[in-house]
Amino acid sequence: MSIRATVVSQFEQVAVEQHRTLARLADDLKLLDSGLDSLSFALIVARLEDSLGFDPFDVDEDLKFPVTFGDFVKLYENHR
Amino acid sequence: MSSVLPNLSLSGSHRDQSFATSFGEQGRARNAFYFASDGGPLFGWLHSATGSPRNMGLVICKPFGYEALCAHRSLRCFAETAAELGIPSLHVDYLGTGDSADMDPLADQISVWTHDVVAAVRELRKRTSVQQVCVLGVRLGALLAVLAAEECKDITSLVLISPIVSGRRYLRALRTARLAASLNAATPDADNAEAGDGAMEASGFLFSAATIGSLTQIDLKTRAVPPVADILVIDGKSLPGAGPWARQLAESGIRANYLELPGLIEMIMTAPQFAQVPREMVAATREWLNGTCDTKSNLAAPAQRSEPTSTSILMTQDDGEPPLKLTERALFFGADNRLFGIITEPRIGEIRRRGVMLLNAGSDSHIGVNRVNVTLAREWASRGYVALRMDLGGLGDSDTRPGQPDDLVFPPAALDDIAAGVELLRTRYAARDVALFGLCSGAYHSLRAAVAGVPVNRILMVNPQNYFWKEGTTLEDLQLAEVVHNPRLYVHRLFSRDAWQRMLGGRVNLWRIARIYAYRSLLAMESKMRDVARRMHIRLPNDLGSELAQIYKRGVRIVLIFARGEPGIDLLKLQAGSSVKKLGGYCRIHIIDGADHIFSQSGPRMIMKKILSGELFARN
Repeated sequence: MSIRATVVSQFEQVAVEQHRTLARLADDLKLLDSGLDSLSFALIVARLEDSLGFDPFDVDEDLKFPVTFGDFVKLYENHR
Repeated sequence: MSSVLPNLSLSGSHRDQSFATSFGEQGRARNAFYFASDGGPLFGWLHSATGSPRNMGLVICKPFGYEALCAHRSLRCFAETAAELGIPSLHVDYLGTGDSADMDPLADQISVWTHDVVAAVRELRKRTSVQQVCVLGVRLGALLAVLAAEECKDITSLVLISPIVSGRRYLRALRTARLAASLNAATPDADNAEAGDGAMEASGFLFSAATIGSLTQIDLKTRAVPPVADILVIDGKSLPGAGPWARQLAESGIRANYLELPGLIEMIMTAPQFAQVPREMVAATREWLNGTCDTKSNLAAPAQRSEPTSTSILMTQDDGEPPLKLTERALFFGADNRLFGIITEPRIGEIRRRGVMLLNAGSDSHIGVNRVNVTLAREWASRGYVALRMDLGGLGDSDTRPGQPDDLVFPPAALDDIAAGVELLRTRYAARDVALFGLCSGAYHSLRAAVAGVPVNRILMVNPQNYFWKEGTTLEDLQLAEVVHNPRLYVHRLFSRDAWQRMLGGRVNLWRIARIYAYRSLLAMESKMRDVARRMHIRLPNDLGSELAQIYKRGVRIVLIFARGEPGIDLLKLQAGSSVKKLGGYCRIHIIDGADHIFSQSGPRMIMKKILSGELFARN
């Protein structure tokens, strides 16, 4: 499964678990408008660490949270 | 290990009736009380054994912050399950959490809370004469249980549910949540306003810099095996992390069992109104306790004692004066003594007779989102108010009415419950001026109480998302508020290619979305029509504008506080129309930038609290 597909799958799974209505996942979708909250994103990142084996947020320098869905996917694709 | 379900009939997203019933019986099986720890008074629930007494007690250690709010009912379920087995249990709030006393914000919470767990173990032994104590911990509570076992030989076994094995990894997850929350912040540093240097706020709850330092150093895989005889580790199937450590324990020779079971996310990471008791985890814990604990019941009967239901809370004062001593009392009240609340009394000698009631937000318990009800109650009491933070029936620690499910955000008897609380303030405390405070559904209930004529003088509403509610409506129907707020989102969904594909595949109810969107247009038309009717003094049913005018005529002050962008603002405009302006100073509206729905970031939360206090103490 590609990294993108893995990310999409986690977004969808967490949305269902958290009883949230997920917006259509396009690259330009602002994560703020995705329908998910910060807790949901933390859960997604934790699960992605388990499935992909790395956490791109585990860095010493200050990191801003990705603004769009495309940024989020790129963060994981570039880290790999 | 076989999976034997306990004698509970859990179904869907509601809890079981027998669980609710056990609270409604005469001779209450659980009692709220306060007991001492090194740092100050701790609040706890003592669940007496209802089955044949065993020689074991259970201390329950909750997770941290928002996870604890979500898990509130589940933890009670674990306690009740143990009690049915004859195992009394003590469910404790650590210092600075729940209803316990506040703590030094700079202290190392890990160290303080570990000592609190040890204090709870000793208290349980003192009150029940049990010889063995098992500590059950969830997430951070599980880590504290392990640390407490290193200090206290009275702890003989552990049940660790999704334990935090690596403090560093746990902090990383909290930081990610915080980073994500910063997307919504007007200023990224706004959320550190209360946190102080080096501290971290996670979903509205604070870790001090000292705590972060401690947690960073902790990795259970590198620590000595806990000095207990038996350990049960239950990992969440959807987020397993403790497997390697559990294997390490087993290899060390300790009697350690490891299970991966469903239900973790639903218990600790799902909003309280949707949270679910993890049935299989409860069943597994029950079976393990049953097989582990001593069945000898030749306990000496504990001395008859009544648990202290009140304590002193010390409030520091800004002007260098000695700390102010307030009294807090835990009590059941109302017609059948089903309703639970904590009263914070002002200093002795206070002559002004003013009371304020703080209501539940959603299904969150009486401590409120981010524990805001506790801090507000204590602050307002320090300035002369009698403050009652209470749980409506079926929420938090209140009993559930027979025939009703638990955790209804809009329980049918809410008005009766609020009236009972107001009655308590007016009769027992002779309050002549009573205010109601509520966030989200709490704001709704405050409004409805005022409209229904419950004798209040002021209603302080924060982020209401609806002003009307019909029995049979579901929480999902509150999507109406979203449509009002962002109709373009639904237009996009209605007309996108993906949406059509999903519709044709039967995967989305577009008809429902279309209906909601059409309803928005109707709302806008209806709003204009209602304004005309009001001008002609024609009273239409369910007219928010008329209702606000009606309570204004009775002299009730109305205060509305919104986070900017909240759907309740537009809904207010649509449903109350021009009435709001006509109320002038009797209806004051404040909008706060950079806040989310529950004010989880400390910067905007401080502003909200300041506005609330200003409005509560305003005498014009």
